Amino acid sequence: MNLKDLLSPFFVWQRAFEKPYTSMRPTIDRPGAPAYRGFHINVAETCVGCGSCHTICQNHAIDMVPVEQFQGRPGDSGLRPRFDYGRCCWCGLCVDICTAASLRMSNEYAWITEDPTEFHFTAGVDDKAWQDNEHGYRRAEGYHLYPPKRIEMDMLSPEESVQSFDEVARGYNEEQAKKEADRCVECGICVATCPAHMDVPDYIHSIRDGDYEKGLQLMYRTNPFPATCGRICTRRCESVCPVGILGEPVAIRWLKRFIVDQVDAGEYTRILNNDAVVESGHRVAIIGAGPGGLSAAYYLRQYGHAVSVFEAQASAGGMLRYGVPSYRLPDADLDKDIEYIVSLGVEMNYNTRIGKDISFEQLLQDYDAVFLSTGLSVPSSMRIQGEDHPRVLSGLQVLADVANGRDPGIGRKVAVIGGGNVAMDASRVSRRLGGDVTILYRRRIADMPADTEEIHESQEEGCTIVPQAIPVEIVDAADSSQVTIKWGEAEMVQDPKGGRPRPVLQEDRMHEESYDCIISAIGQGSNLDYLSREIQDQLAIEWGKFSPGEYQHTGLARVFVGGDVANRTADAISAIEDGHHAARGINRFLNPDAYPNNNTSPDTTRSEGEQQ
Amino acid sequence: MNELTNRLKVDFDASEITERKPGLTTLKVAKDKAETLIRELRDREGFTHLNFMTCIDYIEDGIFTLVYMLHNYEQKQTLGIHVDIGRDGEEMVSIHHLWAQAWTYQRELREAYGIRFPGSPRLDEDFVLEGWDQIPPMRREFDTQKFSEERFGHREGRQSEVPRDHMKVTLYPNRGGDEQ
Repeated sequence: MNLKDLLSPFFVWQRAFEKPYTSMRPTIDRPGAPAYRGFHINVAETCVGCGSCHTICQNHAIDMVPVEQFQGRPGDSGLRPRFDYGRCCWCGLCVDICTAASLRMSNEYAWITEDPTEFHFTAGVDDKAWQDNEHGYRRAEGYHLYPPKRIEMDMLSPEESVQSFDEVARGYNEEQAKKEADRCVECGICVATCPAHMDVPDYIHSIRDGDYEKGLQLMYRTNPFPATCGRICTRRCESVCPVGILGEPVAIRWLKRFIVDQVDAGEYTRILNNDAVVESGHRVAIIGAGPGGLSAAYYLRQYGHAVSVFEAQASAGGMLRYGVPSYRLPDADLDKDIEYIVSLGVEMNYNTRIGKDISFEQLLQDYDAVFLSTGLSVPSSMRIQGEDHPRVLSGLQVLADVANGRDPGIGRKVAVIGGGNVAMDASRVSRRLGGDVTILYRRRIADMPADTEEIHESQEEGCTIVPQAIPVEIVDAADSSQVTIKWGEAEMVQDPKGGRPRPVLQEDRMHEESYDCIISAIGQGSNLDYLSREIQDQLAIEWGKFSPGEYQHTGLARVFVGGDVANRTADAISAIEDGHHAARGINRFLNPDAYPNNNTSPDTTRSEGEQQ
Repeated sequence: MNELTNRLKVDFDASEITERKPGLTTLKVAKDKAETLIRELRDREGFTHLNFMTCIDYIEDGIFTLVYMLHNYEQKQTLGIHVDIGRDGEEMVSIHHLWAQAWTYQRELREAYGIRFPGSPRLDEDFVLEGWDQIPPMRREFDTQKFSEERFGHREGRQSEVPRDHMKVTLYPNRGGDEQ
């Protein structure tokens, strides 16, 4: 070491008193580039908490956390992303995958604090200066990490479809199904909305893996009617699918169908492995072999209870067989579901009407528990003069006749009254029988309770929809083989109380038209004549419907109810869930030791329990 | 440009000639013709500048696509040359003798993808990843998440919920696939 080395620090200090070479300037705010990947911005109201940002983040920088302002509800988990800037690498994948496009980045990049634990925040919830920043990275218009459009289902053309009762939707092939399955972000938001809470992301994943046996097992955990639901489910899951926010929802229903279609019915016993059931010695009677009754039968057999089903008709399936036409649900596919359930040792009593062939009281005496799932089988009245005219048919009767291979005798010129799925089915069936179909509906097409797909397809198949048409009277026609309907145009009037607009008859705009037949399809009610007055009182029936307790139990001990007669949604998947849940309730009731708080006693039917 | 690419099609079997946008064209050429083609573009066609080299990992097809981006200042044209090589240890001819800066790109590609360019100077020196002891990180089989999980600690008090499970607990605790 020489002298210079020792003295040099002092020479440097000497510079401190000289005129600096650099010049001092005020601190200038330097904004990031317009598309800079700076701090995150989340529009928390738009975010649905799907967690795709969390899943895609390669650095585990994002947590999904409950936030006070947002509670879980259909289509929104109530969770919101929380960012750990100790791990974020600003790649922007979270922005690219965001299903709701609620997440983006600001061009803000300066956050100065002495406490390193502070770099951790819930975007859009914690107050941050950059939340309203206009700049920063966002996904380019039209850029998607998954295709926004679903894989089209191959359908018979309307010209072909009206020629026969062949299934209209042809089903995905393997390549199509895998591509569609790849659009699923596996967030599971749909599971809460599915009435049966099916394991949707998991069975879709089984398609990606090509493991259809696994897919079938997953479906049977919550739904013993997958071939049926894969075709005709009301698929509320798809209405909340986050992929549907920016594009089309994942075709969950068609993917379910694809899995079932890949597995031969002969393989079910091996795959689903129900041989291990231990018989409990308990006996349960089920009234009605529709989706509710048979779903209960399936899960009761899983618990080892002996099951006897009583069905008034000659075949099982209820509305699925007698109400859903075969071009939507072929008999073979319905039978695939039903035959497997029956094969588990369910005793079927067909052509057996409770209240006539066996009394309800007898069932109560002979069985440990009874499940009622008798559906809605009585067509609602139009409440107009002349509706008992012989040329007025009910939609249900027309559908049942066709299902039974009988000619419903509709003639050529047909009017269908109503806007629900039965009206659409009756219309499309009439088209296939050669009818010219006019559909009269009280409200607007947008108000129709039928599936939009069904409305669209019935129009494609040549049915004419006349909306805002109120039937007023039915009279004899000049031609005795016909019938005449008088109907008036309706104006939609806003409800001052904020309800949905009401159609109001315009008496100066009346029409009159004759038809070979009029098909009334404005709704269905229940037939509970098989229950005595005394029992009906104990079951707490209102407007022909049950209000069951948390486990589908009623005010009468040992009696459980479900299906259309006991829920507000009146669709197959809700009935299936009712059956499953009733099986759970019955099992709890039959095993009080295992479930000390079984919540199935009659006095809890009015409890705060979940009502579907 | 059309005239040039047509000629390259004939002379070098260039394929997949695509105009990406005005002034940017890409084409594909076989590995054994790539160096000659690039040399000809530099010496005879005015593509005197090597903008950059990069690589795309098509793991599903088992290939790396090397990209040589060349620029012609006179015509204001950029030409991307795509060359496929096997992604499992296949070597590529070095072009550092055409542009000296190429060895830097090649050193980066060696580090990020594990591609070897024999004769390229300082090829095996660390580029940005000092002390890297994993497989090259830009290869798609590299599990970034697993690596970050193993290498870096978690901030205390962090926890995350699964949307689906959270909804089950809050909205339908007694239903779904599992009997409680």
